[in-house]
Amino acid sequence: MSRNLFLCALLSASLVGFTPSLLAKEAGEPKGEAKAAAPVPALKPISVVRVNVTSQPYDFLRPWSKRPPFQRRAVGAVLPGSRVLTTAEQVTNATYLELEKPDSGEKCPATVEVVDYECNLAILKASEPDFLKPFKPLALVEPKVGDDLAIWQLENNGTVLNTRALLTTAEVGSYPVGEGGFLLYRLTSSLQPRDSGFTSPVVKGDELAGMLLRFDARSQTADVVPAPVIRHFLKAADSKDGYVGFPRVGMSSSALRDPQLRRYAGLTNGTGGVYVTEVHPGGPADKAGICVGDVLLSIANNAIDRDGNYLDPRYGKVSFSHLLSCEHFDGEKLPFKLMRQGKEMDCEVTLAHPDPSQSIIEPYTLDKAPRYYVVGGVVFQELSRQFLKEWGPEWTRKAPQRFLYYDRYQDELFQNDPRQRIVILSNVLPTPCTVGYEELNCLVVTEVNGVPLKSLADLEGALAKPIEGFHRIKLQGHPGEIVLDAKEAAAIEPALMRNYGLPSVKRL
Amino acid sequence: MRRYVWLLLVLFAISIPARAISIAEVRKSLVRITTTAQEPNYRIPWNPGSVGGGTGAGFVIEGNRILTNAHVVSNARFISVERENDPKHYIAQVQFIGHDCDLAVLTVSDAKFFVGTVALSFTNQIPQIESSVSVYGYPIGGDRLSVTTGVVSRIAFQQYAHSAADSHLAIQTSAAINPGNSGGPVLQDGKVIGIAFQGYNGEVAQNVGYMIPVPVIQRFLKDIESGHYNRYMDLSITTFSLLNPAQRKELGLKDDNLGVLVGSVISGGACDGALKVGDVILAIDGHPVQSDGFVELEGERVEMPEIVERKFKGDSVQFQILRDKAPLEVTAKFTQAWPFQLQASQYDIRPRYLLFGGLLFQPVSRDFFQANPIDNLRLRFLYDSFVTDEIFKDHPDLIVLSNVLPDPVNTYVAGFRGGIVEEINGAKIKTLDDMAAAFAKPAEQYVIKMLGEGRPIVMERAGVEAARERIKTRYNVRQEQNLSE
Repeated sequence: MSRNLFLCALLSASLVGFTPSLLAKEAGEPKGEAKAAAPVPALKPISVVRVNVTSQPYDFLRPWSKRPPFQRRAVGAVLPGSRVLTTAEQVTNATYLELEKPDSGEKCPATVEVVDYECNLAILKASEPDFLKPFKPLALVEPKVGDDLAIWQLENNGTVLNTRALLTTAEVGSYPVGEGGFLLYRLTSSLQPRDSGFTSPVVKGDELAGMLLRFDARSQTADVVPAPVIRHFLKAADSKDGYVGFPRVGMSSSALRDPQLRRYAGLTNGTGGVYVTEVHPGGPADKAGICVGDVLLSIANNAIDRDGNYLDPRYGKVSFSHLLSCEHFDGEKLPFKLMRQGKEMDCEVTLAHPDPSQSIIEPYTLDKAPRYYVVGGVVFQELSRQFLKEWGPEWTRKAPQRFLYYDRYQDELFQNDPRQRIVILSNVLPTPCTVGYEELNCLVVTEVNGVPLKSLADLEGALAKPIEGFHRIKLQGHPGEIVLDAKEAAAIEPALMRNYGLPSVKRL
Repeated sequence: MRRYVWLLLVLFAISIPARAISIAEVRKSLVRITTTAQEPNYRIPWNPGSVGGGTGAGFVIEGNRILTNAHVVSNARFISVERENDPKHYIAQVQFIGHDCDLAVLTVSDAKFFVGTVALSFTNQIPQIESSVSVYGYPIGGDRLSVTTGVVSRIAFQQYAHSAADSHLAIQTSAAINPGNSGGPVLQDGKVIGIAFQGYNGEVAQNVGYMIPVPVIQRFLKDIESGHYNRYMDLSITTFSLLNPAQRKELGLKDDNLGVLVGSVISGGACDGALKVGDVILAIDGHPVQSDGFVELEGERVEMPEIVERKFKGDSVQFQILRDKAPLEVTAKFTQAWPFQLQASQYDIRPRYLLFGGLLFQPVSRDFFQANPIDNLRLRFLYDSFVTDEIFKDHPDLIVLSNVLPDPVNTYVAGFRGGIVEEINGAKIKTLDDMAAAFAKPAEQYVIKMLGEGRPIVMERAGVEAARERIKTRYNVRQEQNLSE
């Protein structure tokens, strides 16, 4: 019985792309639709909606202003409870969001209810409660490797463009922001470009299997945010205590294939286990007493092989990071089995979501205005990866090398640093105050008026206490220190704001 | 010469105005130099390197010597010289070579070579801008002597491309300087005003050639009088222009456009101990320092380092400074040239390396990077910040695992390529010698910790020993290590 139903669903799903009249007849529309004199038959209720987004990111090189707005379109999946699922990337830095009915073009403003940039998912809510009523909400389904899936895009006329896709692989891979990555489905599909871009639901039958993350036209492969990640996200979004992101264990590990390394690590028998190479200070692994050099043997009775995989009942060999971050939630306690200097030991790890704002160099700053302070023309900011990304698609090569180095190795370099943020002199706006400083840029500021800067918030207090009428700005490395006349810096503020069009000299 | 690729062939009409010295006399000094050079291979450091060569010019100076560019005779295995109007090829030797100033002095053992030659003399002043000059040499376009003329276009500090790390005074001329002109004399009123040495590729600029001026040549000739070339001295500080009125006031300076701020002082450099960050340099050797870092020297406004350009090993430099608003006089002594040369192109040395169990370890250098374009942020940062961040204190050699010659003993190590060696069996590795010593110490296993890597490389002695001959034979390794340049 259930098998028959499934086949039916698959049939109707694949027929959506054909003529509306045929579909309307076959599917038996809800009673409410008037059949009387209407020449154009109504569409079968569909489960996808257009998401039109106007975005305006902040300009981190001119932190007081935003970049020009631009528009994007995507296809969102309608979920039960009048909600729409789309990717976080799509709604990042959105200034205006609207949902659009594919057939009628009817529009309705929307808001972001929950967004998680790390797993790249967002839930949208229509401002009119009944707007999504005619849609048929999608249920979540977990496909298997080898299954035939479909990607749903939208044609200009509102019909669904249904492209077949083969689920070839399920593995942990990188996501647009954040580290570590999550499970991804890899599909093979010959997707065509449409005005909605490649943000589209991926379905199995007429159930939601994932959201398209990226598509590579040359290799005809698509990466998909998979059902398990969506399931975790939706469950966390429904939590009464508010949304908490995916948990991490706070450690890195390396494969243990090398027999010389295995012997060194005290592994005399067995073939599994991974070598712990990094433990994030203060993270769950650290708190549980896991050390660099330990060998991780199992998590919650799931044996870890020498490449760091466990055996997932559905996907086979998958990196243990999926088990930790997707199959479990923030605050859960898991038993770990370790080997330390040849002796097996057990410990319990309490999983936790790492708050990105706790990093000394924030991994992403989205939908959030950058903090800045302009003093006499000297622009102070906090070093962030978003700032480095202003150097364009090749930012990992083109941004200032020292900052890239600080960002990449921040856990190692700033482990015992008292700072919460690295305050930088990002550039200098030429004013009468900054004569001779015009060329200075991208320098680390350590102190102002003798006050060490733990974050930009400390700057205000430091500026309140000029030394003998001067602001003394101490820099790390050449040229050591620069000086501003405190009174002059305050006096030129209105002219500075007018001249350079600053709405305010600070945002803290 | 071969260091510069010239794409455009410029044909030049030769016209030689009357001058105090006839072309016949210049011919008696001019030397055509043919060099066979062997450049070391930093990818396969045990190989002797490929053999190449080229021709350049030189000229006879007093003392039966030939002056030319260092790049004409760098890495030379065989040098032959010819005079105008003498078919014989004479064998020459490098007597002194200065890679930081791109100059070399050659000698010829056969005394007959110098019979009938005329030693050119040098002018003792910097030529005037717009005065005309003639360039002599054997550039591309034919085999015989070529002369080009032009004017002095500019006199300024320039980077010397031969080492790529040094800047000295250079004279720019509009006279065509092409590959093969290198080492040839540039004359004005019968006296040498410089040696042609570098220019731009024709796609970048036209009629922009450079010569090494007499002060740089004289400094080199004086330096080698000691019997050894001691290289240029260096203050090893950075300075910051003091143009900001508030900063001047705060430092206790008058509104007199004098003084520069000491922005950094490199440990172990000439000024370490004499100057501090925050000092204001008011005068150097009695010459007032203007707030943009210029001093007046012999009636010319020149950059402050020009004073140091004339210093030799053992000399001192005197600063009048303001420290915490109080005037002070300090002296810095030049005891040695800056010892760490890894950021400069190097010549006439053999690459250092160490091969252990198929793992190739090499200290990084400019030449190393040119042969191994390893894109590793940590390695790049430590190399680029080697001086500014004083990386040399912990790592006088930045030893990188540059390659892995695949063998069963190192099957799982390839992922560490580009990593920097930090410790071996708990001992810090600062130099390649430290590394050789650590591997020479008998141990069951060698645990190699790489900088920033939680996972060590473990090499068991027995396995490495068993692999030794196998790897040497399979990869044609002539020598497992070279620790000295």
